Amino acid sequence: MIEVHELTKRYGSYLAVDAISFEAHPGEVVGLLGPNGAGKTTTMRILTGFMPPTGGTARIAGYDVMADSLEVRRRVGYLPERVPVYPDMTVSGYITFWAKLRGVTRPRAQVDAVLERVNLADRRNTLIRNLSKGLRQRLGLAQALVHNPEVVILDEPTIGIDPQQVIEVRESVRELGKNHTVLFSTHILSEAEQVCDRVVIINKGRIIAQGTPQTLRAQLQPGVALYVEIGGLGKEAAARLLREIPGIESVERQGDGFAVRASSDMRAALSDAVLHAGCRLLELRPVAMTLEDIFLDLVGRGN
Amino acid sequence: MHRDSIVITRNQIGQWGAFIGGGALLAGFVGLLWQGGLTPLIAALLTVGIGGLVLWALLAPQEFIGFVTGRQARYSTMAVFATLLLTGIVSLTYIVLQRAVLTLDMTEGRRFSISAETQAVLRRVTRPIRITGFYSPAALRLREVDDQFFRLYEVATNGLMTRNYIDPEQNPAVAQAFGVVEDGNVFISYLKDDGTVDFSSLMRVSRTSSQERDLTGAVARLLAAGTLKVYFDNSRGALDPFDTSQQGLSAINNGMRENGLITAGFNLLDTVNAGSGIPADAAALVLPRPTLDYTEAEIRAIDAYLKSGGAVLILADALFNQNAFLRQDGAFNQYLWDNYGLRALDAVVVETDAALSVQTPLDIISAAIFTNTDLGARLNTGETPVLFSVARALDVNDSPPSNVSNGRVIMSSEASYGETNLQALGETNTYRYDEGADLPGPLTTVAWADNSANRSRVVLIGDADFVTNGLIAVGGNGILFTDALTWLTRFGEAISFSPQAFVTGLPMIFVSVETLDFIAFITVILVPGFVLLAGLAVWLRRQRAS
Amino acid sequence: MLRGVGTVFGREVGQYFASPAAYLIAFALLLLTGLMFNSDLTFSVTQKAADPALIPSFLSFAMVFFAPLLTMRMLAEESREGTLELLLTAPVSDTAVVLGKFLGAWFYYSLLLLVTLIYQVILAAITQPDLGHAICAYIGIWLYGGATLAVGLVFSSLTENQIVAAFLSMSALLLLWLSDLAGEIIANLDLARLIRQLSLQGHYTTSFAVGIVRAEDVAFYAGIMAVMLFITVRIVESHRWR
Repeated sequence: MIEVHELTKRYGSYLAVDAISFEAHPGEVVGLLGPNGAGKTTTMRILTGFMPPTGGTARIAGYDVMADSLEVRRRVGYLPERVPVYPDMTVSGYITFWAKLRGVTRPRAQVDAVLERVNLADRRNTLIRNLSKGLRQRLGLAQALVHNPEVVILDEPTIGIDPQQVIEVRESVRELGKNHTVLFSTHILSEAEQVCDRVVIINKGRIIAQGTPQTLRAQLQPGVALYVEIGGLGKEAAARLLREIPGIESVERQGDGFAVRASSDMRAALSDAVLHAGCRLLELRPVAMTLEDIFLDLVGRGN
Repeated sequence: MHRDSIVITRNQIGQWGAFIGGGALLAGFVGLLWQGGLTPLIAALLTVGIGGLVLWALLAPQEFIGFVTGRQARYSTMAVFATLLLTGIVSLTYIVLQRAVLTLDMTEGRRFSISAETQAVLRRVTRPIRITGFYSPAALRLREVDDQFFRLYEVATNGLMTRNYIDPEQNPAVAQAFGVVEDGNVFISYLKDDGTVDFSSLMRVSRTSSQERDLTGAVARLLAAGTLKVYFDNSRGALDPFDTSQQGLSAINNGMRENGLITAGFNLLDTVNAGSGIPADAAALVLPRPTLDYTEAEIRAIDAYLKSGGAVLILADALFNQNAFLRQDGAFNQYLWDNYGLRALDAVVVETDAALSVQTPLDIISAAIFTNTDLGARLNTGETPVLFSVARALDVNDSPPSNVSNGRVIMSSEASYGETNLQALGETNTYRYDEGADLPGPLTTVAWADNSANRSRVVLIGDADFVTNGLIAVGGNGILFTDALTWLTRFGEAISFSPQAFVTGLPMIFVSVETLDFIAFITVILVPGFVLLAGLAVWLRRQRAS
Repeated sequence: MLRGVGTVFGREVGQYFASPAAYLIAFALLLLTGLMFNSDLTFSVTQKAADPALIPSFLSFAMVFFAPLLTMRMLAEESREGTLELLLTAPVSDTAVVLGKFLGAWFYYSLLLLVTLIYQVILAAITQPDLGHAICAYIGIWLYGGATLAVGLVFSSLTENQIVAAFLSMSALLLLWLSDLAGEIIANLDLARLIRQLSLQGHYTTSFAVGIVRAEDVAFYAGIMAVMLFITVRIVESHRWR
């Protein structure tokens, strides 16, 4: 549905997007993950036909974003980072405008349906200037969906709204994934992990990793992390004890205990060593690495 | 770190070079277009401009290359070129349409369409005619308005008439060659085969309130040019049409030629003595104050000419010699009285009303003009009075011979009188009203007669000095002479047509104060108020919608 | 193409009718023309025939200030609110967007013009004005207004700030208006003529205002609109690459 190949965008001498390639299939929610300035918005703007790429190709539903820009735009629903609204229009007027502009044949029915879908039906005659930020976000979503596009592109849809609404938005994005191909960007890892079927991590215009959250985690987590809490020994001594165990790669203090990384499952050897030293093992459990860790790790490595 | 800061400075210098250079280059080009040549200032600007850009290229090469080959340069150059292309196409369309002269006159009076009379005149145009207008930049709007008319003529003649505009301030030599007096002067002329103006046919287009009448009149005169010949008698010490001195008639002669009349000198005495008559091609004969009176033979020649439909303009003047021209009891005067009911009196008009005389009471200004006559139509006592110097009083027989109609054109005031003691006047320059001997005013100084049976016409003017080079430019002197000739030669009939009313007589508004108040109420209060209320309603609904 | 133009046009016209500011502009304009008309009428009574081109000729000056007010919002606001990004990713061409906006402004202006026809109706009721002349002047000022609105649109597309857009277009229009008098300042005839040919007034005062339609004047206003809209489209398009 979305095929991006070696896509490059250059602003003068500044390379915003550097030969990225990824795909998104129908019914898939793909997250574009990266810090600010990573090139997420640029990529999305290219995909929506807003700007031409410097190099590479991007196709949506088989249409090239450059050659068949209008066909692409017909099939894409786009919600920019800052929800663009006409403050002096009513909710239904605004949605009807976009519906007509995108060639919806029976705008009225479609508008009603989409307002129902984003829970704005009771506000249809409200002026947009009187809508709260969260409602505006829903409105933005409604305009992106009103023409029932095959591809929905959402640029940081959860930024700047309150936590309750963040949850709502995340739910609706997941919901969207059932009928549309969704590409959405975020710089919050947990969000990507929760919502996405696949994650593309980019930094400084380059893809540094992509895959399902699970594979990414597995891929980037070659070793095992354990949490250990030892009783009857000073912190320094305990740390020294842990480091001396063969196979242990790193030991870091974490709360009352230590985060220990090893190349393989060391739980048996570790408990033996602790008991052998005459100490008590208060807690020993494996720790799953979050994407946050992976991301920081990757970004760190990238530097 | 230290090195970095130097690089930034270099770049900045380069950027400043780019800005200053670009600005200077732009200013230089504008100056070049404005001045149309290289002045030291422009040269300096261009040098600074190029220098600045070179500095930029040297100090910040990457930026320079990026600018020249970059995305922005590419897109913006494309956009600029596309815009220039479109502008070019638009300009071309504009120019083509301007040349095509497509005009739709939407006024009810068809004020910007040429009348049937003009069309009739223009149908007679067979040779290229050039309208040459002189307009300085300050008269640009006048030129535009005039052009509206001139282009109609161009269209009506299928391009035989063309327009050319010259700036008299830019081309003073050309303006002088045409004899331009003021901004907005317009001339028409035939074009020579090489496309240049044929100066021998040049005519000034007069400027009144009706452009159409002015221009059509000029075209008609141009068409009639060369068909009418006016002879000046130069026997017996008459005024000479080729004499350029103050007493000569060269100015009016040139003026006549400018208006398309052919003029020629002619010696009546010699002709009569040789046994022949007045040339048959004479449209008019001017007798410009010969000093001696005509003999019977000469009168017979004139009579024969008049009977064949001729026209004679007689400039009589107060003369103090023996057997003076047109003396009161002379044969020629008697002939005029018998045949046309006009005669000259042996009396000089003395104007005692100081407001109607110039230096002496003998330099008289016309007190009354009969503007309902063809001769007086363009004269008026206010702006274009006629100035006569030592003029003779005339007599008009109010019961003229059969078939003849006659009348007066100019008269002196009630306060004037006719001094009959010419001897005292001529020798000692003394004059005094003598009850009984002198003639009481008002006195006629210009008169006309028209014989409808043989189509002959006579104009008798009691003065000759008014048409000399010294006085021709004063007041309406020139107009009197040319209009007299126009009438005599029937030149006017060839070109006369009923001019359209250019100030269309739209009905004036007559309404009551109540109606005016009602209109004011509708237009100033009701309509804007309604709009304001509608706006208020929209605003209120919006407030409530929140 | 047509769908895009129509949709944008519809939104712009609706916007005029939904915004109190547009009513305020209409009010100001109608009040001024009303006052003009009445003072001329009072002056005309038993003195002279009323000038059928009076109101259009006044508008030729007034549009210098009113056209920017009608257009300043159009693209500057889209750009500031970010809706331009959505418009540019909608399946309509940039030309359709600009054209729709322009036609919306021109339509609103035409409606105002229609309201001012009431003066002609009043004149026709109390005297016999030269209706041909009046219609001609109205055609002229209609085209003239279109050209000023197109100029205003260019400046609206140049900046995100409405006030700046209005100020810049007023300056530009004033300059175009004043160039009619170029001949009185510039000594070079050809240059003065060229500048006058470029002036908005120069194609109105000596033709439409006196009751004649010249093909070149129609071409001039149509050309100004075409070039200005083309420039606007290029500027809007530049959002894609700058």
